[in-house]
Amino acid sequence: MTTRQEWIRYLGLGGLVLVCLGLLGLAAWQLVQLERQMRIGASENMIWVFGQAQIEALNLALTLSDEAAAQQIQTRFDVLLSRLTLLEEGPQRRFLEDAGVSETLAGWRSGLLALDPAQGADMAALRAHVTALVAALRGKASLVMSHEWQIQAERLDRLGHLHRLALVSVLGAALAGLGLAAILIDRERRLMRGRLDRLRAEKLAGDLERERETSENHRRFADLIAHQLRTPLAVIDSAMHRLTRRGGPVSPELVSEKAAVSREAVARLVKLTDTALMMSRLERDGVLPHLGAHDLHDLAAAVIDDLMVAQGRNPSRIRPPAQAAPMVALCDPALTGEILSNLLRNALLYSPLDCRVDVEVSQSQTHIVCRIEDRGRGMSPEEIARAFDRFHRGSGHETLPGSGLGLTLARHLARMQGGDVILTQRAGGGLTAALYLPREVSA
Amino acid sequence: MNLRHRTARTALIAALLLSSVPAAAENVLLTLTGAVTDGRVELTRADFDAMDWHEFATSTSVTDHQPEFRGVLMRDILAHAGAEGSQVRAAALNDYVVDIPIEDFYQFDVLAALYMDGVPLTPRDKGPVWIVYPRDDHGVLADIRYDMRWVWQLVALHVQ
Repeated sequence: MTTRQEWIRYLGLGGLVLVCLGLLGLAAWQLVQLERQMRIGASENMIWVFGQAQIEALNLALTLSDEAAAQQIQTRFDVLLSRLTLLEEGPQRRFLEDAGVSETLAGWRSGLLALDPAQGADMAALRAHVTALVAALRGKASLVMSHEWQIQAERLDRLGHLHRLALVSVLGAALAGLGLAAILIDRERRLMRGRLDRLRAEKLAGDLERERETSENHRRFADLIAHQLRTPLAVIDSAMHRLTRRGGPVSPELVSEKAAVSREAVARLVKLTDTALMMSRLERDGVLPHLGAHDLHDLAAAVIDDLMVAQGRNPSRIRPPAQAAPMVALCDPALTGEILSNLLRNALLYSPLDCRVDVEVSQSQTHIVCRIEDRGRGMSPEEIARAFDRFHRGSGHETLPGSGLGLTLARHLARMQGGDVILTQRAGGGLTAALYLPREVSA
Repeated sequence: MNLRHRTARTALIAALLLSSVPAAAENVLLTLTGAVTDGRVELTRADFDAMDWHEFATSTSVTDHQPEFRGVLMRDILAHAGAEGSQVRAAALNDYVVDIPIEDFYQFDVLAALYMDGVPLTPRDKGPVWIVYPRDDHGVLADIRYDMRWVWQLVALHVQ
């Protein structure tokens, strides 16, 4: 979006906000006006005021015709006078002018004052004046009443008008608010879409990176396997070559020696193929552990036996675990055998031929632990940290046979069974490889 | 209003006025009855003069400008008469009768005015006494419910 369009959008948004606030302000102002005009003023009570003047005129007329006491006549006279005075004061006078009755009422008060009984006025003249006043007031009462109601009705009209204006303002503000909300929601939607797009792109990049890594791993694996295959094949080839070399007869001792060398090379090839197959199956998640209760003593002893038989090594180099209480773990015996064999072969391979390897089984609160301790060169903490990476070969061991997959595989298989493989430096030199497996909890 | 009723009311006011005849020299301006000392207290101009006078200017609902009113506080009158009650029934020469909560007199400085713009109020205008609220000092007083309590030509207060 160009900057110009951005600006137009912002201006539109600001304009809507202003319209919304302006209309709300207008509505508030109109409501305040409405509230102010809703008060009832006493000056609006002209029907009563005029009616009271009429009644007092009648009262005085009655008192005069009753020929009551002078004091009483004086009181009624004063009260009537006060009523006429009231009619001549500001708000009342204006009302009567508007109603068009002020002229007919003018002069009555001064006429009355001229006939003050206290000044010994002529009672008959006073009576005649009051009677005429009563008639004049009666003639205008209906005009006062209709004018009063006219004013009230107009006032209600004004209130209604204000009310409608306030309503329209509020509705306008609501419309502007809706527009505002629509724009904001649209904006939010765009932002959300942008965010989703970005996430998708990131995921795609991650997938690509992973794919690249996998393919790189495969390439290195293939290289490694090819390299590892070469050594035993060369050994076999060399043995065959020696046996078939022209010249002197081949002694039976030489045949059996070369056969042993060849067989070991073949065994290594088989082992390598097995590991490669296992890795490949693991990558496809093709291996599921068959968990059962097994004594780790028995499993370790079986692995040691197999190793000795297969490789014809010096059995005294490995000190098998002392048989104590049964150490029953919940594990898959085949996978566990693979792990133990892996760790043991590492221990034998990476420590001098004349050094002992200890195997020991113990238990903790939650786990059965099989520790394999060698007295080799050991590993630094940094090496230990990298030891489980795929294809990582220990420094200085590049020439020894190995795939760089053994420890990776061992840890993976252990974790599949709810356990782990952990390497630590052995006190007094060498390395301790510990296999942890969950204890079998007999229900 | 029927004739008998009117005559009776007129007679009552006349009686109030005439009963003060023995002391006519000290014209009784205001008569308090009901829950006051000895059931009846009459106030003459001298009684008013003995009290604290106050004055203020305020707009009214029946005049244009803001007249200056002078008189004594309604609560002082009630205290003077030893009034005990919650409301007074105010009666005027012109037969106007209205009930006023006594609380008003303590909440606001309500005046029993005897002068407007320095001129004494008379029965021919709004005298002898006009109950005046300080309408401009309290927004709430600009209301018909308070305007009704502005009794002019006040002559009697019945405390209850």
